[in-house]
Amino acid sequence: MKTRVLRYSILTVILGLTIYQALGYGKRSFEAFCPFGGMESLWGLFREGQYSCATGPLNMSMLIAVIVLALIAKKAFCGWACPIGFLSELIGRLGMKILPWNSSVNPKLNSRLKLIRYVGLVLALYFTYQTGELILRGYDPFYIIFSGFGHGTLGLVSVIVLVIIIIGSFLIPMFFCRYFCPLGATIDPFSRLGLVKIVSDEDLCTECGECYTSCPHDIAPNEMIYIRHRDCTNCLECIDSCPEKDCLTLKVKL
Amino acid sequence: MKVPKYLIPVITIVMLFAGFYLRFAFTQPTTSVVFSEQGDAKLVCTVNGVKCKGTANFFTKMFNGVEGISSIETIASERRATFTYDPSKIDKEQIREIIEQPIQLRDGSSRQFFTCVEMK
Repeated sequence: MKTRVLRYSILTVILGLTIYQALGYGKRSFEAFCPFGGMESLWGLFREGQYSCATGPLNMSMLIAVIVLALIAKKAFCGWACPIGFLSELIGRLGMKILPWNSSVNPKLNSRLKLIRYVGLVLALYFTYQTGELILRGYDPFYIIFSGFGHGTLGLVSVIVLVIIIIGSFLIPMFFCRYFCPLGATIDPFSRLGLVKIVSDEDLCTECGECYTSCPHDIAPNEMIYIRHRDCTNCLECIDSCPEKDCLTLKVKL
Repeated sequence: MKVPKYLIPVITIVMLFAGFYLRFAFTQPTTSVVFSEQGDAKLVCTVNGVKCKGTANFFTKMFNGVEGISSIETIASERRATFTYDPSKIDKEQIREIIEQPIQLRDGSSRQFFTCVEMK
Protein backbone atom coordinates (compact mmCIF):
# COMPACT_ATOMS: atom_id res chain seq x y z
CA MET A 1 0.00 0.00 0.00
CA LYS A 2 1.28 3.45 -0.83
CA THR A 3 2.11 5.44 2.27
CA ARG A 4 0.05 8.36 0.99
CA VAL A 5 -3.15 6.29 1.17
CA LEU A 6 -2.48 5.53 4.83
CA ARG A 7 -1.46 9.13 5.58
CA TYR A 8 -4.50 10.62 3.89
CA SER A 9 -6.76 8.13 5.68
CA ILE A 10 -5.38 9.17 9.07
CA LEU A 11 -5.61 12.85 8.12
CA THR A 12 -9.20 12.43 6.90
CA VAL A 13 -10.19 10.88 10.23
CA ILE A 14 -8.52 13.76 12.12
CA LEU A 15 -10.15 16.34 9.83
CA GLY A 16 -13.52 14.63 10.37
CA LEU A 17 -13.06 14.68 14.16
CA THR A 18 -12.11 18.37 14.03
CA ILE A 19 -15.27 19.18 12.04
CA TYR A 20 -17.32 17.09 14.48
CA GLN A 21 -15.89 19.10 17.42
CA ALA A 22 -16.30 22.37 15.53
CA LEU A 23 -20.00 21.64 14.98
CA GLY A 24 -20.35 21.46 18.77
CA TYR A 25 -20.96 17.72 19.10
CA GLY A 26 -17.87 16.94 21.12
CA LYS A 27 -17.29 17.50 24.82
CA ARG A 28 -14.69 20.16 24.16
CA SER A 29 -13.96 22.89 21.67
CA PHE A 30 -11.94 22.06 18.53
CA GLU A 31 -9.46 24.74 19.68
CA ALA A 32 -8.63 22.67 22.74
CA PHE A 33 -6.66 20.27 20.54
CA CYS A 34 -4.34 22.84 18.95
CA PRO A 35 -0.80 22.42 20.30
CA PHE A 36 -0.04 26.10 19.66
CA GLY A 37 -2.62 26.97 22.32
CA GLY A 38 -0.10 25.54 24.78
CA MET A 39 2.50 28.07 23.61
CA GLU A 40 -0.05 30.88 23.93
CA SER A 41 -0.74 29.82 27.51
CA LEU A 42 2.82 29.54 28.78
CA TRP A 43 3.15 33.09 30.10
CA GLY A 44 -0.31 33.15 31.69
CA LEU A 45 0.39 29.86 33.42
CA PHE A 46 3.78 31.06 34.62
CA ARG A 47 2.54 34.46 35.80
CA GLU A 48 -0.99 33.80 37.08
CA GLY A 49 -1.38 30.04 37.02
CA GLN A 50 -4.15 30.52 34.44
CA TYR A 51 -4.59 29.60 30.82
CA SER A 52 -5.11 32.36 28.25
CA CYS A 53 -8.67 32.90 27.07
CA ALA A 54 -10.05 29.65 25.57
CA THR A 55 -6.92 27.53 25.94
CA GLY A 56 -6.68 24.75 28.48
CA PRO A 57 -4.84 21.68 29.73
CA LEU A 58 -5.31 19.75 26.50
CA ASN A 59 -3.50 22.46 24.53
CA MET A 60 -0.54 22.16 26.88
CA SER A 61 -0.42 18.37 26.87
CA MET A 62 -0.74 18.34 23.06
CA LEU A 63 2.15 20.81 22.77
CA ILE A 64 4.36 18.57 24.91
CA ALA A 65 3.31 15.51 22.92
CA VAL A 66 4.11 17.29 19.63
CA ILE A 67 7.54 18.41 20.91
CA VAL A 68 8.37 14.87 22.07
CA LEU A 69 7.12 13.59 18.71
CA ALA A 70 9.41 16.10 16.93
CA LEU A 71 12.37 14.86 18.97
CA ILE A 72 11.58 11.33 17.82
CA ALA A 73 10.18 11.70 14.31
CA LYS A 74 10.74 15.33 13.27
CA LYS A 75 7.63 17.20 12.10
CA ALA A 76 5.53 14.05 11.79
CA PHE A 77 2.67 15.94 13.43
CA CYS A 78 2.55 18.35 10.47
CA GLY A 79 2.56 15.62 7.84
CA TRP A 80 0.43 13.02 9.59
CA ALA A 81 -1.96 14.85 11.91
CA CYS A 82 -2.42 18.56 11.19
CA PRO A 83 -5.76 19.29 9.45
CA ILE A 84 -4.49 22.63 8.09
CA GLY A 85 -1.39 20.93 6.65
CA PHE A 86 -3.72 18.38 5.05
CA LEU A 87 -5.97 21.03 3.48
CA SER A 88 -2.90 22.98 2.30
CA GLU A 89 -1.48 19.87 0.71
CA LEU A 90 -4.74 19.04 -1.06
CA ILE A 91 -5.03 22.59 -2.44
CA GLY A 92 -1.36 22.48 -3.48
CA ARG A 93 -1.85 19.18 -5.32
CA LEU A 94 -4.85 20.63 -7.11
CA GLY A 95 -2.74 23.64 -8.07
CA MET A 96 0.06 21.43 -9.41
CA LYS A 97 -2.45 19.54 -11.58
CA ILE A 98 -4.12 22.65 -12.96
CA LEU A 99 -1.26 25.12 -13.31
CA PRO A 100 1.05 24.59 -16.25
CA TRP A 101 4.22 25.95 -14.65
CA ASN A 102 6.52 24.44 -12.06
CA SER A 103 5.50 25.84 -8.70
CA SER A 104 8.74 25.29 -6.79
CA VAL A 105 10.20 28.47 -5.29
CA ASN A 106 13.78 29.65 -5.73
CA PRO A 107 15.64 27.96 -2.80
CA LYS A 108 17.28 31.20 -1.60
CA LEU A 109 14.02 33.14 -1.65
CA ASN A 110 12.26 30.16 -0.08
CA SER A 111 14.57 30.06 2.94
CA ARG A 112 14.38 33.85 3.37
CA LEU A 113 10.60 33.85 3.25
CA LYS A 114 10.58 31.14 5.93
CA LEU A 115 11.90 33.73 8.38
CA ILE A 116 8.42 35.29 8.32
CA ARG A 117 7.12 32.49 10.49
CA TYR A 118 9.61 33.30 13.25
CA VAL A 119 8.63 36.97 13.16
CA GLY A 120 4.97 35.87 13.24
CA LEU A 121 5.67 33.59 16.20
CA VAL A 122 7.37 36.35 18.22
CA LEU A 123 4.63 38.89 17.43
CA ALA A 124 1.81 36.44 18.17
CA LEU A 125 3.30 35.45 21.51
CA TYR A 126 4.16 39.04 22.46
CA PHE A 127 0.64 40.34 21.86
CA THR A 128 -1.02 37.26 23.35
CA TYR A 129 1.06 37.53 26.52
CA GLN A 130 0.44 41.29 26.71
CA THR A 131 -3.33 41.07 26.37
CA GLY A 132 -4.18 37.58 27.62
CA GLU A 133 -6.39 37.30 24.51
CA LEU A 134 -5.84 34.94 21.58
CA ILE A 135 -5.08 37.76 19.14
CA LEU A 136 -3.97 35.30 16.48
CA ARG A 137 -7.55 34.04 16.00
CA GLY A 138 -8.39 36.53 13.27
CA TYR A 139 -5.36 35.48 11.22
CA ASP A 140 -5.32 31.77 12.00
CA PRO A 141 -6.80 29.62 9.20
CA PHE A 142 -7.45 26.78 11.66
CA TYR A 143 -9.65 29.03 13.79
CA ILE A 144 -11.20 30.97 10.89
CA ILE A 145 -12.24 27.82 9.00
CA PHE A 146 -13.43 25.61 11.86
CA SER A 147 -15.17 28.36 13.81
CA GLY A 148 -16.88 29.50 10.59
CA PHE A 149 -15.63 33.08 11.06
CA GLY A 150 -16.68 32.88 14.71
CA HIS A 151 -16.03 35.10 17.72
CA GLY A 152 -12.61 36.73 17.60
CA THR A 153 -12.23 36.76 13.83
CA LEU A 154 -11.82 40.11 12.10
CA GLY A 155 -14.49 40.17 9.41
CA LEU A 156 -13.04 41.36 6.11
CA VAL A 157 -9.44 41.07 7.38
CA SER A 158 -9.97 37.38 8.15
CA VAL A 159 -11.61 36.85 4.74
CA ILE A 160 -8.59 38.46 3.04
CA VAL A 161 -6.17 36.36 5.12
CA LEU A 162 -8.01 33.17 4.22
CA VAL A 163 -8.19 34.07 0.51
CA ILE A 164 -4.44 34.86 0.46
CA ILE A 165 -3.68 31.52 2.15
CA ILE A 166 -5.90 29.57 -0.27
CA ILE A 167 -4.46 31.28 -3.37
CA GLY A 168 -0.95 30.96 -1.93
CA SER A 169 -1.44 27.24 -1.26
CA PHE A 170 -2.72 26.83 -4.79
CA LEU A 171 0.46 28.40 -6.21
CA ILE A 172 3.05 27.16 -3.69
CA PRO A 173 2.55 23.81 -1.95
CA MET A 174 2.27 24.13 1.86
CA PHE A 175 2.25 27.93 1.57
CA PHE A 176 0.93 28.56 5.10
CA CYS A 177 3.06 25.85 6.71
CA ARG A 178 6.25 27.10 5.05
CA TYR A 179 5.97 30.80 5.69
CA PHE A 180 3.42 31.49 8.42
CA CYS A 181 2.71 28.57 10.75
CA PRO A 182 3.74 29.60 14.28
CA LEU A 183 3.53 26.00 15.52
CA GLY A 184 5.97 24.99 12.78
CA ALA A 185 8.34 27.73 13.96
CA THR A 186 7.98 26.51 17.56
CA ILE A 187 8.95 22.92 16.78
CA ASP A 188 11.70 23.75 14.25
CA PRO A 189 14.60 23.37 16.73
CA PHE A 190 13.22 20.08 18.03
CA SER A 191 12.63 18.84 14.50
CA ARG A 192 16.30 19.35 13.63
CA LEU A 193 17.20 16.93 16.43
CA GLY A 194 14.58 14.36 15.37
CA LEU A 195 15.98 10.83 15.76
CA VAL A 196 14.08 9.03 13.00
CA LYS A 197 15.07 10.54 9.69
CA ILE A 198 15.30 9.69 6.02
CA VAL A 199 18.73 8.60 4.89
CA SER A 200 19.94 8.66 1.31
CA ASP A 201 22.40 6.10 -0.12
CA GLU A 202 24.80 7.97 -2.43
CA ASP A 203 25.86 4.79 -4.22
CA LEU A 204 22.32 3.86 -5.19
CA CYS A 205 21.12 7.37 -6.09
CA THR A 206 20.81 8.03 -9.83
CA GLU A 207 20.04 11.76 -9.35
CA CYS A 208 16.71 11.35 -11.12
CA GLY A 209 15.22 14.08 -8.90
CA GLU A 210 11.95 12.22 -8.26
CA CYS A 211 12.36 12.67 -4.49
CA TYR A 212 12.76 16.44 -4.86
CA THR A 213 9.75 16.71 -7.15
CA SER A 214 7.56 14.73 -4.77
CA CYS A 215 8.57 16.63 -1.60
CA PRO A 216 5.82 19.09 -0.63
CA HIS A 217 8.42 21.26 1.13
CA ASP A 218 10.91 21.36 -1.78
CA ILE A 219 13.59 19.51 0.17
CA ALA A 220 16.12 17.70 -2.03
CA PRO A 221 16.90 14.34 -0.35
CA ASN A 222 19.26 13.48 -3.22
CA GLU A 223 21.56 16.34 -2.15
CA MET A 224 21.91 15.20 1.45
CA ILE A 225 22.84 11.99 3.21
CA TYR A 226 20.78 12.51 6.35
CA ILE A 227 17.63 14.58 5.98
CA ARG A 228 18.02 16.80 9.02
CA HIS A 229 16.06 19.61 7.38
CA ARG A 230 13.77 21.34 9.87
CA ASP A 231 10.82 21.17 7.48
CA CYS A 232 10.91 17.43 6.83
CA THR A 233 7.56 16.05 8.02
CA ASN A 234 8.52 12.42 7.44
CA CYS A 235 5.56 12.18 5.07
CA LEU A 236 7.64 9.55 3.22
CA GLU A 237 6.56 10.80 -0.24
CA CYS A 238 10.24 10.80 -1.30
CA ILE A 239 10.76 7.17 -0.29
CA ASP A 240 7.64 6.13 -2.19
CA SER A 241 8.63 8.06 -5.30
CA CYS A 242 12.24 6.80 -5.43
CA PRO A 243 12.62 4.25 -8.24
CA GLU A 244 15.77 2.71 -6.68
CA LYS A 245 15.08 0.12 -4.02
CA ASP A 246 16.55 1.03 -0.60
CA CYS A 247 18.13 4.24 -1.90
CA LEU A 248 16.05 6.26 0.54
CA THR A 249 15.36 4.59 3.86
CA LEU A 250 14.13 5.54 7.29
CA LYS A 251 16.76 5.24 9.98
CA VAL A 252 17.36 6.08 13.61
CA LYS A 253 20.33 8.42 13.53
CA LEU A 254 21.56 11.02 16.01
CA MET B 1 19.48 1.37 12.44
CA LYS B 2 16.86 0.95 9.72
CA VAL B 3 13.24 1.24 10.82
CA PRO B 4 10.01 0.35 8.98
CA LYS B 5 8.07 3.17 7.30
CA TYR B 6 4.99 2.49 9.36
CA LEU B 7 6.80 3.48 12.53
CA ILE B 8 6.04 7.14 11.74
CA PRO B 9 2.21 6.87 11.77
CA VAL B 10 2.34 4.53 14.76
CA ILE B 11 4.48 6.95 16.81
CA THR B 12 2.34 9.91 15.70
CA ILE B 13 -0.90 8.24 16.80
CA VAL B 14 0.64 7.03 20.07
CA MET B 15 1.86 10.57 20.85
CA LEU B 16 -1.54 12.07 20.02
CA PHE B 17 -3.21 9.68 22.45
CA ALA B 18 -0.49 10.35 25.02
CA GLY B 19 -1.14 14.09 24.63
CA PHE B 20 -4.86 13.54 25.05
CA TYR B 21 -4.51 11.52 28.26
CA LEU B 22 -1.70 13.66 29.68
CA ARG B 23 -4.07 16.63 29.95
CA PHE B 24 -4.99 15.69 33.51
CA ALA B 25 -1.47 16.63 34.57
CA PHE B 26 -2.04 20.24 33.47
CA THR B 27 -5.57 20.88 34.67
CA GLN B 28 -6.14 24.42 35.94
CA PRO B 29 -9.65 25.82 36.36
CA THR B 30 -10.56 28.90 34.31
CA THR B 31 -12.63 30.20 37.22
CA SER B 32 -12.98 28.88 40.74
CA VAL B 33 -15.35 30.58 43.16
CA VAL B 34 -16.45 29.45 46.61
CA PHE B 35 -19.71 31.06 47.79
CA SER B 36 -20.19 29.13 51.03
CA GLU B 37 -19.04 25.99 52.78
CA GLN B 38 -22.51 24.40 52.94
CA GLY B 39 -23.43 21.41 50.79
CA ASP B 40 -21.29 18.65 49.45
CA ALA B 41 -23.26 17.27 46.50
CA LYS B 42 -21.35 17.50 43.20
CA LEU B 43 -22.68 18.14 39.74
CA VAL B 44 -20.56 18.20 36.60
CA CYS B 45 -22.15 19.89 33.58
CA THR B 46 -21.01 20.18 29.99
CA VAL B 47 -22.17 23.67 29.05
CA ASN B 48 -22.31 24.97 25.49
CA GLY B 49 -21.44 28.66 25.58
CA VAL B 50 -18.62 28.48 28.12
CA LYS B 51 -15.77 28.93 25.67
CA CYS B 52 -13.23 31.35 27.16
CA LYS B 53 -12.22 33.21 30.29
CA GLY B 54 -14.83 35.94 29.62
CA THR B 55 -17.79 33.60 29.18
CA ALA B 56 -16.62 31.47 32.12
CA ASN B 57 -16.57 34.59 34.35
CA PHE B 58 -20.01 35.60 33.09
CA PHE B 59 -21.34 32.08 33.69
CA THR B 60 -19.96 32.02 37.24
CA LYS B 61 -21.48 35.43 38.06
CA MET B 62 -24.94 34.10 37.11
CA PHE B 63 -24.83 32.02 40.30
CA ASN B 64 -23.85 34.90 42.55
CA GLY B 65 -26.28 34.91 45.47
CA VAL B 66 -28.13 31.76 44.37
CA GLU B 67 -29.06 29.89 47.53
CA GLY B 68 -27.72 26.36 47.79
CA ILE B 69 -24.74 26.80 45.45
CA SER B 70 -21.54 26.41 47.45
CA SER B 71 -18.92 26.64 44.73
CA ILE B 72 -18.40 26.65 40.97
CA GLU B 73 -15.32 25.66 39.05
CA THR B 74 -15.16 25.99 35.27
CA ILE B 75 -12.73 24.73 32.67
CA ALA B 76 -13.53 26.71 29.52
CA SER B 77 -11.63 24.59 27.00
CA GLU B 78 -13.52 21.49 28.21
CA ARG B 79 -16.85 23.40 28.42
CA ARG B 80 -17.08 21.97 31.91
CA ALA B 81 -18.62 23.45 35.03
CA THR B 82 -18.46 21.65 38.36
CA PHE B 83 -20.93 22.71 41.05
CA THR B 84 -20.92 21.90 44.74
CA TYR B 85 -24.41 22.41 46.09
CA ASP B 86 -26.77 21.72 48.93
CA PRO B 87 -29.48 19.29 47.65
CA SER B 88 -31.89 20.39 50.38
CA LYS B 89 -31.97 23.92 48.92
CA ILE B 90 -31.51 23.45 45.17
CA ASP B 91 -31.71 20.49 42.80
CA LYS B 92 -30.14 19.62 39.45
CA GLU B 93 -33.12 20.79 37.42
CA GLN B 94 -33.12 24.20 39.11
CA ILE B 95 -29.42 24.53 38.33
CA ARG B 96 -30.15 23.67 34.70
CA GLU B 97 -32.91 26.31 34.61
CA ILE B 98 -30.49 28.97 35.87
CA ILE B 99 -27.88 27.94 33.30
CA GLU B 100 -30.37 28.08 30.44
CA GLN B 101 -32.28 31.19 31.49
CA PRO B 102 -32.39 33.96 28.87
CA ILE B 103 -30.14 36.92 29.68
CA GLN B 104 -31.47 40.45 29.36
CA LEU B 105 -29.36 42.50 26.92
CA ARG B 106 -28.77 46.27 26.97
CA ASP B 107 -31.12 46.86 24.04
CA GLY B 108 -33.98 45.29 25.97
CA SER B 109 -34.03 41.99 24.12
CA SER B 110 -33.04 38.72 25.75
CA ARG B 111 -30.98 35.78 24.58
CA GLN B 112 -30.06 32.35 25.89
CA PHE B 113 -26.27 32.16 26.17
CA PHE B 114 -25.73 28.77 27.78
CA THR B 115 -27.11 25.29 27.21
CA CYS B 116 -26.49 22.39 29.53
CA VAL B 117 -25.85 19.44 27.21
CA GLU B 118 -24.83 16.88 29.82
CA MET B 119 -25.17 16.50 33.58
CA LYS B 120 -23.36 13.98 35.73
